[in-house]
Amino acid sequence: MLEALGITALALTALSALFLVALIVRRSAIAREERRRAELEERVRPLALALVDGQEVDLPPLTSEERAMLAEAIGRLSRNLSGDARERIGAFFAGSEAYEIEIEALRHRTAWRRATAAYRLGDMACPEATRAVLPLLEDRDADVRAAAARSLGRLGDAEAAEALVRALGEQTVPRALAFRAVLDLGPAALPSLRNLARAEDPERRAAAVELLGWLGGAADDAILIAAVGDPSAEVRAKAAAALGRLASADGAEALTEALDDRIYFVRLHAARALGQVGEQAAVSRLLRQAREDRFEAARAAAQAVARVDPAALLEAADEPGAGPHLHEAADLLRV
Amino acid sequence: MSWLYDLAIALAALTFAYFALLNLVYLVFTAVAWRSLTRHLRARGHAADDEIFASPVTPPVSVLVPAFDEEPTIVDSVHSLLALRYPEHEVIVVNDGSLDGTLERLQEEFDLVPVRKALRVVIPTAAIRGVYVSRRNRRLWVVDKENGGKADALNAGVNASRFPYILAIDADAILEEDSLLRVVRPIVASPDVVVATGGIVRIANGCRIDHGRVLDVRLPSSRLAILQVLEYFRAFLIGRVGWSHMNALLIVSGAFGLFRRSLVEAIGGYSSTTVGEDIELVVRLHRHLRERDEDYRIEFVPDPVCWTEAPETMNQLSRQRRRWHRGLGETLWRHRRVAGNGRYGVLGLGAVPYFLLFEFFGPIFEVLGIPAVLGWWLLGDLSAVYLVGFLLIAMLAGVVLSLAALTLEEHSFRRHRDGRDIARLVRFSVLENVGYRQIVSFWRFLAFFDLVRGRHEWGEMRRKGFATVPEAPLPPG
Repeated sequence: MLEALGITALALTALSALFLVALIVRRSAIAREERRRAELEERVRPLALALVDGQEVDLPPLTSEERAMLAEAIGRLSRNLSGDARERIGAFFAGSEAYEIEIEALRHRTAWRRATAAYRLGDMACPEATRAVLPLLEDRDADVRAAAARSLGRLGDAEAAEALVRALGEQTVPRALAFRAVLDLGPAALPSLRNLARAEDPERRAAAVELLGWLGGAADDAILIAAVGDPSAEVRAKAAAALGRLASADGAEALTEALDDRIYFVRLHAARALGQVGEQAAVSRLLRQAREDRFEAARAAAQAVARVDPAALLEAADEPGAGPHLHEAADLLRV
Repeated sequence: MSWLYDLAIALAALTFAYFALLNLVYLVFTAVAWRSLTRHLRARGHAADDEIFASPVTPPVSVLVPAFDEEPTIVDSVHSLLALRYPEHEVIVVNDGSLDGTLERLQEEFDLVPVRKALRVVIPTAAIRGVYVSRRNRRLWVVDKENGGKADALNAGVNASRFPYILAIDADAILEEDSLLRVVRPIVASPDVVVATGGIVRIANGCRIDHGRVLDVRLPSSRLAILQVLEYFRAFLIGRVGWSHMNALLIVSGAFGLFRRSLVEAIGGYSSTTVGEDIELVVRLHRHLRERDEDYRIEFVPDPVCWTEAPETMNQLSRQRRRWHRGLGETLWRHRRVAGNGRYGVLGLGAVPYFLLFEFFGPIFEVLGIPAVLGWWLLGDLSAVYLVGFLLIAMLAGVVLSLAALTLEEHSFRRHRDGRDIARLVRFSVLENVGYRQIVSFWRFLAFFDLVRGRHEWGEMRRKGFATVPEAPLPPG
């Protein structure tokens, strides 16, 4: 027993000493590393800015550390840039050592390294990286898939559109990231979205239809109006929201009919969309929904009336039995 | 008196076993936390916070701020909450019948106007006196209600919230600009699975703060507050990271917790009949979801920071700790069926028994066990070498744990930039084991008496939903 106590005390003392040493070593190592990085960054930053700015730059001989820091600095700058500046960044990295290292790392056995490589390639802005990053949307690790989606959006190659929308529909990539990535592709994604709006899988249809609301235009009205009658409630709701976002006057009739949908969140999106479209003919239906429907759908209807016909809202709110949603919308209108 | 002798010996032996087991658990947790934090740090290299911020489908959040007599800090708090970097959020301050000028300060600063807001009252609360919206910033709402306590105020906030997620935050806490974006990350990654998340709470005493922003992280001058800095490191960087890893996190701090609103509503909201409404809500969430065999996670996220002011007087600290311990006791009693119940998985077989044995009953061992060991020695049945060895090991184990937490902090977030602060923390890692820990244990021990005195509050509260949708009345005048 005494021996066990002694051994335990010794072990704990050793462990304390170990943590203390780790603390000191780690702290001084990080401090040194931060100083070194700060110096390096100060040296390469003017170069990075000049390159991004399109100035003629004769690259001086750089050490491997400086090259890595230059790549990192340009990568960071690229996150807030678009257009010519990003193209210049892509041209700088194309075929470079830093680019090749990250391409190689996409096959690394550890997930975090693959994810980091995919992420950095997005910052390097070489469109030719798309083909290398695309398969990572099916990686077994969720972080890698997310980083790949993010970078495919940043790379802006329409080739990635279909895979991104599929990933969005199947929820293999965080919705917020996949959505943003497709938006980053811009109109180049539209042909894929239009195809996917007719896909068999309702989740893919829903994702495609929702994105058409953000990227599409009048040419997509027909697809969206048809989607308001889709068998899937999710698709109907997204289609209604998309028509509202596009302020599609042609979609008003379908949206008004959707106010009678049996699923409340379809009615909610239809009401909100009618407010965005400005459909005067739907006001009486919206007022009824504001008085009688479930909470969120009723609130959406009241807010829609506030947008379409403020006078009608104020009048309706003063009537007996107007209900809390019309009162709230009217009060907010007065604010 | 032989039974007394036997009892003392049994208690002393149990105390030995208790310390051995507790420290073993802590060491395992330290290893788990190290691994988890390393993973988290690596993930920061590819965290797409900017994209989440720029995504139109990032879930909007209602930030709930229960406020009772917060006149001195409420305006700064609200300004900093409105300035959070997040795509879409609203701030709902619930004035819980404050006796000071909390509401008046808000009215002056934000130009509040009364609105007959439709309230989704699925959770009953004390009477609502009025709801206001700010003319200066339409994302700010103020619910004015009769006093009903923090849980009741939070429930009123839940009823008034518009968005699918709610963030509960203390009125005197300071969130860093990106905190909301970071705490929502696990929900963005797995919206169907992650139902709640919590961030780290750090102590703001001693820090340089300007207009609700922490500009420079420094240690407080108060020794009592420094000791709490260490405690928070241990609790968050070891305890919460470890339990979160096992999906058995029992505490999402009331000062900074994000929840799926529909679930909070489904389980009846925060309980007004316990002082530990935060832990009780989380345990009830676990139970609700496990009883339905749902695939879910409640996660601790170590990098979003909420700064809070720690008590600097013994009186305040003792009250805080007694309240916490009482809340823990009430929660464990209310959910006693979970303890040791395999149906609840790691919650029933790991977390709840751990909290019961080590956190709840811990003070009994620490307050009575050590005198029992001393008594054993005085009776001559325990040699002085054993006694000294035991006390030394108990102290060394405490030092190891605090140093481990400090090393984890340095390994991961390194918020204290001044080396002198770290040196002081190392010193306090040793000092806290002589006196401070025993005093805190004593306060927690006293909470048992509070529990006995407040036994009437241990019952379940029956809740009734309203079928109709009421609206907030317009305040007089």
